[in-house]
Amino acid sequence: MAARLALATRLRPAYRLVFLYFRCLGQQMKAILAYEADFVVLMISAVMVQLTGLLFIWTIFQRIPNINGWTFWQVVMMYALIFVTEGVGSLFFEGTWRLSNLVYTGQFDQILVRPVSPIVQVLAGAVGFNGLGNIVTGLFLIGVGIANTPVAWTPGRLLMLVILIASAATIRVAINLGSAASAFWVKAPWSMVPMFVHQLGEFAKYPITIYSVAVQALIVLAIPFAFVSFFPTAFIFGVDAWSIQGLLTPLVAIYCVLMAVWLFRVGLRRYESSGH
Amino acid sequence: MGRYRKYVSLARTSLEITFVYRAGFALNMIGTIFYVVAMFYLWQTIFLGSSSALGGFTWPEMKAYLLVSFLLNSLMTWFAEWNMSMDIKEGRVATDLARPMDFQASRMATAFGPLPFELFSALVVGAIVATVFGGIALPADPAHLVVFLISAALATLIKFGMVYCVSMTAFWTTGIDGVMVGRVAIQNIFSGALIPLVFFPDWLRALAAVLPFQGMISTPALTYLGKMDGPTTALMIGLQAVWATGLLLLGRLAWRGAVRAVTINGG
Repeated sequence: MAARLALATRLRPAYRLVFLYFRCLGQQMKAILAYEADFVVLMISAVMVQLTGLLFIWTIFQRIPNINGWTFWQVVMMYALIFVTEGVGSLFFEGTWRLSNLVYTGQFDQILVRPVSPIVQVLAGAVGFNGLGNIVTGLFLIGVGIANTPVAWTPGRLLMLVILIASAATIRVAINLGSAASAFWVKAPWSMVPMFVHQLGEFAKYPITIYSVAVQALIVLAIPFAFVSFFPTAFIFGVDAWSIQGLLTPLVAIYCVLMAVWLFRVGLRRYESSGH
Repeated sequence: MGRYRKYVSLARTSLEITFVYRAGFALNMIGTIFYVVAMFYLWQTIFLGSSSALGGFTWPEMKAYLLVSFLLNSLMTWFAEWNMSMDIKEGRVATDLARPMDFQASRMATAFGPLPFELFSALVVGAIVATVFGGIALPADPAHLVVFLISAALATLIKFGMVYCVSMTAFWTTGIDGVMVGRVAIQNIFSGALIPLVFFPDWLRALAAVLPFQGMISTPALTYLGKMDGPTTALMIGLQAVWATGLLLLGRLAWRGAVRAVTINGG
């Protein structure tokens, strides 16, 4: 009994953070849903981006059987993973993009006076409803992709699939948060660093074997976008040469979160509000 | 000439603003550079892995195509579109209505002002990418270059016409980000920016042929490569001119309708 109580007390702060996170996010959602037409437009635009991207890949594969040995469905899977993780980022954690503005204008003060973790408040600071469109179509594509894999789907493998997708999304969000923390150093109305890092994700839409070693090192080691799409895809399709690295994805996710939180904390210490 | 001086000074101011907000401009360039490099690697792999020419393109031709596509896409950034729609969304157009200027012409001046700077930066980035991928040839025939420049100018007009029309939707929806993203997605595929239109299956090519987007990338890129014969070139450039005019007129019409709506709402 005493042990259970102790556990509950220990868990309470974490539970409270999650609860508060969704309360903050809920307010943002209401603000956006007030404009119904915007919501529809954002959803449609997200789906449009995916459809045209898919059309592009499909057209290429009408001409050639594979790209460097990678098949149509494998490339679609990489694409879909990029879109789903991006969707998770914009639907639930769009707030990272506002950090530089908050820091620059000094509005970040508001966050500091509230008794809730600043990271949670930043993450829940905005909602990008285009993310919903990305998640739905992306998951649909992943489903179709899986139906086209040559491997047998055991419960263990399915569980691994879920873990991989969750890890991929975590990596993406952590990279966003970590690069957004640059705002504490840059001190401009908006920092270029997050966009710069975000755009590196373009490389992860295609198999990394098409790139030079320098580019590969960049997206495997420096900013591990390859673990968002390429390595999980290799595991899902049972591509022997790369599957093992796919299993590292959850570890990479943990590493990315720790790095992002550390960067944020170091940056936070530099925050000195705006000079008014 | 005096009639145009106000527009020239608008264009100059717009260029100066771009200089002041260099960081934002650089951001936009960075946004495209990774994408371009990824595309070069992708197509390199595809072409080097294939024994014959694809869709009538050789790898050197494809490189030139991708570069021209990048240069044209770098002109007139989303800033023009964003500013225009924000002016509408936040009601700043009210000031424009009071000015003795044509709204479309003033926006065109603002959008075209930064072009020299955009072109210069895109050429620098393009030159670096081209060097990394083993160089890119200029048109063999100087005549192709002249025709290309005409076609590229028309492409920029079409782009402005399109952007202007899309910005007008800000009168009816506040979700302009979504509209912009949607336009770019459709434009990228149907303009030939991602893939030459000859790669498309027939039904898709037929669709691209009746849309204005092909005049934005495909037509100028093909003139650069000299891939069309004389009559086809003339026809395609004529088509560009028709679309440019049509879109500019459509924009004027939309503006007129929108302003009337605003006046009614504003009491």
